[in-house]
Amino acid sequence: MSAFESFSDVAEIAENLQSPDASVRRLTVIEIAETASDEAVPHLVAAISDTAPEVRLQAARALGEFDGLSVAQALVRGVTDADRDVASAAAESLAELRDTAADAALLPLVSHQSAFVREAIFRALKELRSAIALGPAISALQDADAAVRVQAVGVIGYLKSNETLPSLISAARDADAQVRLAAVNALSFARNAVAAQAASGALADDAWQVRAAAAETLGRIGETSAAAAVKGALGDTFWQVRQKALQCLGKLKARDAVPAILGILDDPLPSLRKEAAAALGDIGDISAQAPLAAHAADPDPDVRKTVAWALSRLPTV
Amino acid sequence: MPIAYAPTTVPVVVDDVKCIADKGCTVCVDVCPLDVLRISDLTGKAYMKYDECWYCMPCETDCPTGAVTVNIPYLLR
Amino acid sequence: MDEIKQGLSEIECDVLVIGGGTAGPMAAYKAKRRNPKARVVLLEKANVKRSGAIAMGMDGLNNAVVPGFATPEQYTKEITIANDGICDQAPVYKYASRCFDVIQELDSFGIKFQKTENGDFDVKKVHHLGSYVLPMPNGETVKKALYRQLRREKVLISNRYMATRLLTAKDGRIAGVIAVNTRSAEFLVLRAKTVILCTGAAGRLGLPQSGYLWGTYENATNSGDGYAMAYHAGAGLANIECYQINPLIKDYNGPACAYVAGPFGAYTANSEGNRFIECDYWSGQMMQEFYNELQSGKGPVFLKLNHLHSDTVGQIEAVLHKVERPSRGRFHENRGTNYREKMIEMHISEIGLCSGHSASGVFVDEFARTTVTGLYSAGDMASVPHNYMLGAFTNGAVAGEHAVDFAAEVDVPDYDRDDVVREQERVLAPTQRDDGIPPNQLEYKARRLVNDYLQPPKVTAKMQIGQARLAEVRDDLDNAMVVRDSHELMRALEVSSILDCADMAAYASLFRTESRWGLYHNRVDYPEKNEEDWFCHSILSKRDGRMTAEKRAVEPYLVPIDESERDAYDRQRIRQHA
Repeated sequence: MSAFESFSDVAEIAENLQSPDASVRRLTVIEIAETASDEAVPHLVAAISDTAPEVRLQAARALGEFDGLSVAQALVRGVTDADRDVASAAAESLAELRDTAADAALLPLVSHQSAFVREAIFRALKELRSAIALGPAISALQDADAAVRVQAVGVIGYLKSNETLPSLISAARDADAQVRLAAVNALSFARNAVAAQAASGALADDAWQVRAAAAETLGRIGETSAAAAVKGALGDTFWQVRQKALQCLGKLKARDAVPAILGILDDPLPSLRKEAAAALGDIGDISAQAPLAAHAADPDPDVRKTVAWALSRLPTV
Repeated sequence: MPIAYAPTTVPVVVDDVKCIADKGCTVCVDVCPLDVLRISDLTGKAYMKYDECWYCMPCETDCPTGAVTVNIPYLLR
Repeated sequence: MDEIKQGLSEIECDVLVIGGGTAGPMAAYKAKRRNPKARVVLLEKANVKRSGAIAMGMDGLNNAVVPGFATPEQYTKEITIANDGICDQAPVYKYASRCFDVIQELDSFGIKFQKTENGDFDVKKVHHLGSYVLPMPNGETVKKALYRQLRREKVLISNRYMATRLLTAKDGRIAGVIAVNTRSAEFLVLRAKTVILCTGAAGRLGLPQSGYLWGTYENATNSGDGYAMAYHAGAGLANIECYQINPLIKDYNGPACAYVAGPFGAYTANSEGNRFIECDYWSGQMMQEFYNELQSGKGPVFLKLNHLHSDTVGQIEAVLHKVERPSRGRFHENRGTNYREKMIEMHISEIGLCSGHSASGVFVDEFARTTVTGLYSAGDMASVPHNYMLGAFTNGAVAGEHAVDFAAEVDVPDYDRDDVVREQERVLAPTQRDDGIPPNQLEYKARRLVNDYLQPPKVTAKMQIGQARLAEVRDDLDNAMVVRDSHELMRALEVSSILDCADMAAYASLFRTESRWGLYHNRVDYPEKNEEDWFCHSILSKRDGRMTAEKRAVEPYLVPIDESERDAYDRQRIRQHA
């Protein structure tokens, strides 16, 4: 009995890929992958063209643990497999690729007829932060399928280039809420008034999730000119949006919003009272002192703690 | 003093039709942190031999054929 | 399989890592990377592929110190305050300074952390003190990614071997370990220049409320074997009386996940739906407040998500039902409970020993060195407080690197062959009996006694009764336990570890004659914190075959704690006692 796990010869294990029994071939794929050796790759690449779908499925899963151009090429074959399970597994594995050389294998599929394939390809390109994918991603913002457009926004957002702002800004007005959500979040990297203006526009979005994201993004962008628009969001019908707006106003140190925020110290929702107190602490305007002190005995302990913290942040008179 | 066996309904259930342990698969047995699964000499399929389950699910997640189901142990249900 | 066979073999290595969960694989990987010529062995009683606390991954990092969001100084200060000041800051500061490198390295392994739409780490703020939470919505692949790295580095992995006792040389240095195969009962002696203990928490100490032995908060494999081995090798163990107790979903012993659901707006509430936790820190003090509310007229305690939007709850479920404890969804389905409709009943866990969320563990310094030369420890069983999963990775890395350097300077120490003979006799004794008490009954009884007598609130006379009753169980373990196969032998050895940990818990709890760390060490007959006599570690160790305890000074702080910050914390205590 050996005390250790063995490091067996990959070629020797791979002989079982010739077995007439698909279950045996499937188990062989698992065994080959576990070696974690680079020698495993050619055998796994071959297995993704096996006649039995369960063997192809196992190969598509296993390839996610390896990297490089030949892996990407095999997974491209897998993601276009007629078997839905194989294609899904290959899509998941594609998103595991980290070797930037892999993008060459993916690019030819950006206009594939299947939306499922296009989505998987853009998702993988996003993870690779592939610069050559930028052009195709911008074009894909016009894709008929919303899920593809979401991933295209991701490709653009990960690259964080000011030149892509116009495309992200137009995506922030997409017909689909998920695309708008992704685009508004992706604007966060920009530190300028153009991005802030686009995000401010999203404060009036039909979907509350987009409105909440817009407030969060504006906090990250940090353009104080947006404060007036964010103050307006304190009257949003969704408390989730009001909460993000309070956080944003704190980050922007929006003194003009202090009177409006003071009103929220009496909101029936403790989470909002807490956020209002935190925002007042962040802004640090002395006019908040008496109203904050009046809430030191709030029934909610989180509100009390935040009020105490906020008071400690105000300038001493 | 003789030792009696207390009957217990086990949480981990294996579908013998899907299980390919008879082809040499030992994935679920290998990944169980508590080592409670075995391959039956009788059927060649995997089964839960010891009722010592943390219902953590690697056996179900890693089974290549989807043959394993982890249920919540009765005492916790 | 599982029949008991005869057998004894011996191997030699430079660095021996015991425990293939979280800290262990990282220690072995780092040791091998630093010195590829070193012979590095990773020993695991299950299979490294899916062993330990993160068998199914982790839903996020609770203590990520990411530049731009938190600083090592701030983190060190908060951990010190959360531990009522009893904290050697050097290892905490070291962790805080190194952990971001480790996050990036894990990311390069293919372990996925949540990213923003700009591809940056999406660090979340849970409370106003600092931002330390980094979600891992796809965290279930952690172990696979680690295993792949171990294979690539050609670390020697030895699965299904349970270490039972450390070997020491005549001069007290570590010399290796004796292990027994869990499938065949054959013995393996591993001689080593250095040993790194990473066997996780003592999680099978208390009995869960459900009565199911395996329904523990911690992975039930983590039976405190490392605590027991370190003790018998003469290492010091720190602050064992500072138990781990955690909030959890009632009957489902998975975490309540304040760190997952919190950033989405969920919170812990009483039966009126109101927040009640005053404490700023995840600490024993917070658990005392939780306990008080449970016992009060406003109890029990609930996880409140039903004020959140259905889509938001869906996002939370997508994480909670997939990662770390994924059978949670099935549990709720059986009960017909839905986060959207009603608050979910919570409770507190059974007691355990675990530095991951608390502070008790084998005493280590900032290089992960124990008090035994050549013996290191990292992860949930080492004394670095509140180190969680990322601490296990980071401190495992520290241990691996330091140990492999140390190994390059020394020879393999000799050990006493009689120690091995005696250990074989001890391990196999229950297999020689035809009749007796099976390990599961001994375990049930021992853990029921832990609940009855050792869990807080701690009462001196009760703990003393507990010690006497546990001694009776030990007598049965030594003289009447029967084992019929090698799997049951593993369980029997685990019961032995559990009893050792229970004895240590009782002894250390009686030693510290004050109350500290909130519920963790709430001694009813010494209700006050006593800074004058007890601002120190308690160190428990085995001397001349007997358990002893002594005080050890807290190292001078690297990051000073403002008086007012300490006072703020104390004021909360007073309000709570009123």
